[in-house]
Amino acid sequence: MGEMTPRKRALLCVTGNKRKADRISCLDTLTTCTVDQMNAVKAPFPEANRDPELAFRLAAAAWEVVGLEGFKMPFDLCVEAEALGCKINWGRIDRHPSVETHVFNDLKDLKIPEDIMDRGRFPLKHDVELRLMKEYGDYLPVVNQVTGPFTIAGHVFGIERFCIWTKKRPLEEVKEALMTISEMNIADCKKALKSGSEIVCIADPSATSDILSPVFFRDVMVPVYRNMATKIGAPIVLHICGNTTAYLPYLPDTGVDAFSVDAQVDIGFAKAVVGNKIAIVGGVPTITALLFGTPQKVREAAIDAIKKGVDVLMPSCGIPPRAPLENFKALVEVARCMVYQ
Amino acid sequence: MATKEEIVNGFIKAIVDGDEAASVMWAKQGIDAKVDAYELVTKHGGDAMSIVNSKYEKKEFFVPEVLCSANALNAAVDVLAPYMKADKASEPATVILGVVEGDIHDIGKNLVKIMLSAAGFRVVDLGKDVPLMQFVDKTKELKADVVGMSALMSTTMPSMKKVIQLLQEAGIRDKVKVIVGGGPVTKEWALSIGADDRPHDASSAVGATKELVAKLKAERGAW
Repeated sequence: MGEMTPRKRALLCVTGNKRKADRISCLDTLTTCTVDQMNAVKAPFPEANRDPELAFRLAAAAWEVVGLEGFKMPFDLCVEAEALGCKINWGRIDRHPSVETHVFNDLKDLKIPEDIMDRGRFPLKHDVELRLMKEYGDYLPVVNQVTGPFTIAGHVFGIERFCIWTKKRPLEEVKEALMTISEMNIADCKKALKSGSEIVCIADPSATSDILSPVFFRDVMVPVYRNMATKIGAPIVLHICGNTTAYLPYLPDTGVDAFSVDAQVDIGFAKAVVGNKIAIVGGVPTITALLFGTPQKVREAAIDAIKKGVDVLMPSCGIPPRAPLENFKALVEVARCMVYQ
Repeated sequence: MATKEEIVNGFIKAIVDGDEAASVMWAKQGIDAKVDAYELVTKHGGDAMSIVNSKYEKKEFFVPEVLCSANALNAAVDVLAPYMKADKASEPATVILGVVEGDIHDIGKNLVKIMLSAAGFRVVDLGKDVPLMQFVDKTKELKADVVGMSALMSTTMPSMKKVIQLLQEAGIRDKVKVIVGGGPVTKEWALSIGADDRPHDASSAVGATKELVAKLKAERGAW
């Protein structure tokens, strides 16, 4: 039997079929960019977020430099907000772009332009994905990341205001706005899947249970994610930051394939609660292990996560840009030597 | 006319419920009934936010509820401010607050600001995405007693360590106390970077800040 391609392996692992793979995948569906990689391929932030050639090189560095088993575009969470008209702070080499100003003053102002996929950096993102697909697609998977609807709502309305509306406005109106935003995500994914991306990552950091109640998550966010899962039609990883333990019971209802948990969530607990219904991915803490730790500390965290049953071994959140390359590589090394047979 | 007790209870309930219209209404009644405005804000407003925070701790309340309560308190403070006679006996301690460079998540910082202001601190808010050197410059300029920093992203947390180093390099680390906060920030990590405390939420920030200021005054004396 020939060696399984990382592409096949990743597709099995994100859909909860890691036992059918030869070993655990170390695809990273979250932010993979670090300064060490930018220097290695001469594609630094902030330029690499806007220049297609640099973006391609930096995206490819995930495999070429670190050895992660797949690619992800884009690097930041501002593509949607930018295309909708928000002002962006482009950051610098060790700082991701961030949204500076909201654009809508009321729920009823929300309008997604028909040609949204031609605006801002949507074309750049899809072009880079297509190029990655052409050059690596038979061997490695391409992940199309979308910023989750709640996070986008925070960007375009202002997060504090949107939070207050979740209490002061009719819940149906709030849900309607999130549904409208999710349709933009769906259009984005359809376009990406058509040009060869195979996995979708919904990164919705603001929907954290540090902010929202499990009841709001169940009643509003679950139907919104379910709408996406039903229409997108590809393996989906959902990432939410913070301690999402209280959300776990509701996650299978979203219909996504995998849930990416932050460092505050115990992998063993998550697997025990919903592990038979949804894949649990993550496992290596970004701060204590990858940023401030040592390769040995990363290895210990990775082995611990694998023992607890994690389905894809990856950082627990977006990797901090200053995390040393040797630490990131240690994660990949562990995945590579965990052979099931 | 409502009794003082009714006004205080109504005021507290309005804030806990996050009902802006009611908190403003009770604040106005308080003014009419000559209830001490300073006491209404710092004591009873503080009590109300303590209730809010204990509900937050028990997971009865989440950030949206806390924001509604903070708004209700803020609206009342706007009404009461002209009637507030500040506590002349002691000069209030100065607290500088800001979200570090690269980070724009300021909900937590804003809550801390409201709580500390309600508790009588002089709070100077540097806003979000604050250049690191600005924390140092403002500390010197305002002869601040406490520097509070927040970061909500694991990618920006390291900046807090950098600010503490900058305070050291400027030779003023022992002039101020440093508190840090934000979702991913653990107490263990906070102490390891040389911060003095990491209050676990906005209401415990008040007690922690009071303690640190008392300690500071004993150690340092005036600036």
